[in-house]
Amino acid sequence: MSWRVGTLATLVAFGVVALGAGAGQSALGGADQSGVVVAGTTDTVTNIDPAGNYDFGSFTVTNLIYQQLMGFPNSAKLEPVLATKCFAVGGNKTWRCNLRRGVTFHDGSAFDSADVKHSFDRSIKINDPSGISSLLGNLKSTKTNGKYAVTFNLKSPQSTWPLILGTGAGFIVPNAYSGTKLQGNSQPQIGTGPYALERYDQGQQAVFEAFDDYWGPQAKNDSLILRTYAKSSTMKLAVQRGEIDMAFQTFTPTELASLRKASGVRVYSGNGAVIRYLVLNVEREPFSNVAVRRALAYAFPRQAVATRVYRGDVKPLFSMPPAGLPGHTDAFAARYGRVPSPAKAKKALQDAGLQTPFPIELWWTPTHYGDATADEYAEIKRGLEKNGVFTVTLKSTEWAQYSDALGRQYNGFQLGWFPDYPDVENYVVPFYRSDTFLANGYKSTKMDNLIKASLAAKTESRRFAIYRQIQSLAAADVPIIPYWQGNMIAVGRNNVRGIPSTLNASFILRYWKISKS
Amino acid sequence: MAAAKGTSLRQYALTRLGLVLPMIFILLTLVFLLMRVAPGDPISAALGARVPKEEVDKIKAELGYDRPIYIQYVDYLGDVVRLDFGTTITDRRPIGEIIRENGAATLELTFYAMIVAIVVGVTFGLLAGRYRDTWIDGGGRLFGIVIYAMPVFFLGLMAQLFFGSYLGWLPTSDRASPIVDATLDKHTNLYTIDTLINRDWDAFVDSVKHLILPAVTLGLVTAGVFIRLIRVNVIRTMKDDYIEAARARGVDERSVVYNHAFRNALVPVITVVGLTVALLLSGAVLTETTFNWPGIGHTLILYLQNRDYTAVQGIIVVFALVVVIASLVIDFVNAYIDPRIRY
Repeated sequence: MSWRVGTLATLVAFGVVALGAGAGQSALGGADQSGVVVAGTTDTVTNIDPAGNYDFGSFTVTNLIYQQLMGFPNSAKLEPVLATKCFAVGGNKTWRCNLRRGVTFHDGSAFDSADVKHSFDRSIKINDPSGISSLLGNLKSTKTNGKYAVTFNLKSPQSTWPLILGTGAGFIVPNAYSGTKLQGNSQPQIGTGPYALERYDQGQQAVFEAFDDYWGPQAKNDSLILRTYAKSSTMKLAVQRGEIDMAFQTFTPTELASLRKASGVRVYSGNGAVIRYLVLNVEREPFSNVAVRRALAYAFPRQAVATRVYRGDVKPLFSMPPAGLPGHTDAFAARYGRVPSPAKAKKALQDAGLQTPFPIELWWTPTHYGDATADEYAEIKRGLEKNGVFTVTLKSTEWAQYSDALGRQYNGFQLGWFPDYPDVENYVVPFYRSDTFLANGYKSTKMDNLIKASLAAKTESRRFAIYRQIQSLAAADVPIIPYWQGNMIAVGRNNVRGIPSTLNASFILRYWKISKS
Repeated sequence: MAAAKGTSLRQYALTRLGLVLPMIFILLTLVFLLMRVAPGDPISAALGARVPKEEVDKIKAELGYDRPIYIQYVDYLGDVVRLDFGTTITDRRPIGEIIRENGAATLELTFYAMIVAIVVGVTFGLLAGRYRDTWIDGGGRLFGIVIYAMPVFFLGLMAQLFFGSYLGWLPTSDRASPIVDATLDKHTNLYTIDTLINRDWDAFVDSVKHLILPAVTLGLVTAGVFIRLIRVNVIRTMKDDYIEAARARGVDERSVVYNHAFRNALVPVITVVGLTVALLLSGAVLTETTFNWPGIGHTLILYLQNRDYTAVQGIIVVFALVVVIASLVIDFVNAYIDPRIRY
């Protein structure tokens, strides 16, 4: 009898498992429909309405639905999208854009200059706390010039205005959208982009259908399902099992190493735009002493971080703008060398009358920049302490607290940057101007003048020449130590085509270029 | 006698109900204070490392976060009294919508997890008690302790790796396959019900398959509580006089065990079921994260990371109300069944 009861109990306890397991593969299971691409991401979405987001996860969704006057539809090169041309009128204070004709929104309405004016006006008026309107701080007014031209009047000259038009701040929404309220995520999202949003389940998935009346080349897939994962480990299993076709953003270095060995999937890597850097407060001890900052620059173990922690998925970075961008120069390598030099670091400290090992405290944040950050800072500590140059005390706190403190509380702290647009200006101006958000006390009249001159520059060659001067000055002053630039990495099943064509310094995954065989 | 019983039950019910309000009030206050005391705020979390501090402060002022904390508290209480839990700060989502959509996912998960917990817990507990000091008892006890002590995310990860990755039998995440999820016509947000309403059998099987690993994981952890409790109850009941009396009357052993001992040993389980609602909800937070199950716990973690005051307050209050109501119902049932409780 006991055996019967025992057998019964076992059957009951595990019967549920057997039920599902025995059911076999459902016709609907997996992502085997050839026209449908299913992609995974760990990024989250705040608001789909372009006026309400300033984060990469939201941008990725918004960028499939909405379009800007200028943008990066094919590569990291700025191109006209809904405009046919944008140009400065007189100085860089007034910009005019001629608009593309024959463009329709997903609801069938026609696109014209009234939509452009409405989009910029509402973004500034809504000024959403999670939004991107701060990028439009220099915009004084937007005026229509007939149905197919607009003029942007700026408060001060800005040579990079076309690049601003290519950011999330430049997405065009229809005139029918409220001028004072965001279009909720559960409301219809109406853009001119290659996809129409069919369904959106917050925190779960976004379902897109290719837009039949799209003015440009049709998407290479019929539908796109973008699924959100809370943990990259779960996403890794899903792509390995074929539950999703591809995944972008963000696996840990360990997971990527494992995926590279896995069958059925491929890891693709291209030029990236994400950087990491260490900010130093130049007003407070010990980093108020430039000798300490320069000693750090001599001793910083960039290659060890790239190789040991990130297994080659990032590259050492010797200036704020990543290598590959026009205007970049390896300013730190030129001044402090490509490899760490504990001897030179020690000498810099000793010449300034400081004893070695010199004690410093560095802050980092554990979750926001990924699980590898702990290893990254352990490696940095090890490198800086080599040969008794520094003794490093590491401290960490979670992002919500960390982001509020920055230079106001921390003397040396880690940050990362994902650009608003792939241009050297976006890696320089926000960090080195006197009112930088870093609050690290760096104020240099020479730097401010160079920045001002760069924004007023009328030719690209002049602009890039100024940015090279800025980078050299920054390497000499060392308010920030840039240390790595990340690759753009995506993982796809073997039958997924087109991923490499979208991996470039714009850091935009163009899902409309991806198909399945 | 009946009138006296009715009066005392009513009194008990009123007293118990009277305790609910101060309990909820204390909870609301605690949640409010903890969120404000914790460093960081939603605006800094979203924009802190991109725009100047002045801009961040301006937005905080516009949203009223620079007002004295007692004014914010009074406003908050006023909204809760009107059952207005507000709209999230980060993604402008009404709390009611979160409860309805993500709450349904949690309800579905916890319901099936409770079934697993009861089936496994009762079965193993009864067997361990009935066959005390045999290998069945040893195995049952060991199983109960191990699954109770094991962190739910670890058990979940092991299940994912074994049943999902190694054997390839079951999906490792989500409520349904992408295509099913994208095309499902939702009526109740309970996928096993919605697929049945739609008469879509393939989708039903798909949603059941997705449910198995998370429900079994969460259910097994909860089952550990049941196993130990029921085992002890069975052992105690088997020694009671009425069991001896039944045996003395010549009732056959099978009937003694199944009709007398087991039934009585299961009465205290009612109390524990109430208590495990809280255990299940807290376990659901971790289970949902492990299995990418888009429930309310999974959502809570996302909003916590962004310090979204409104969202966290709203979700925790709902969690608390569920636990309070479940406890209340269990207390009433217990008081009705066992008169000793109400005296």
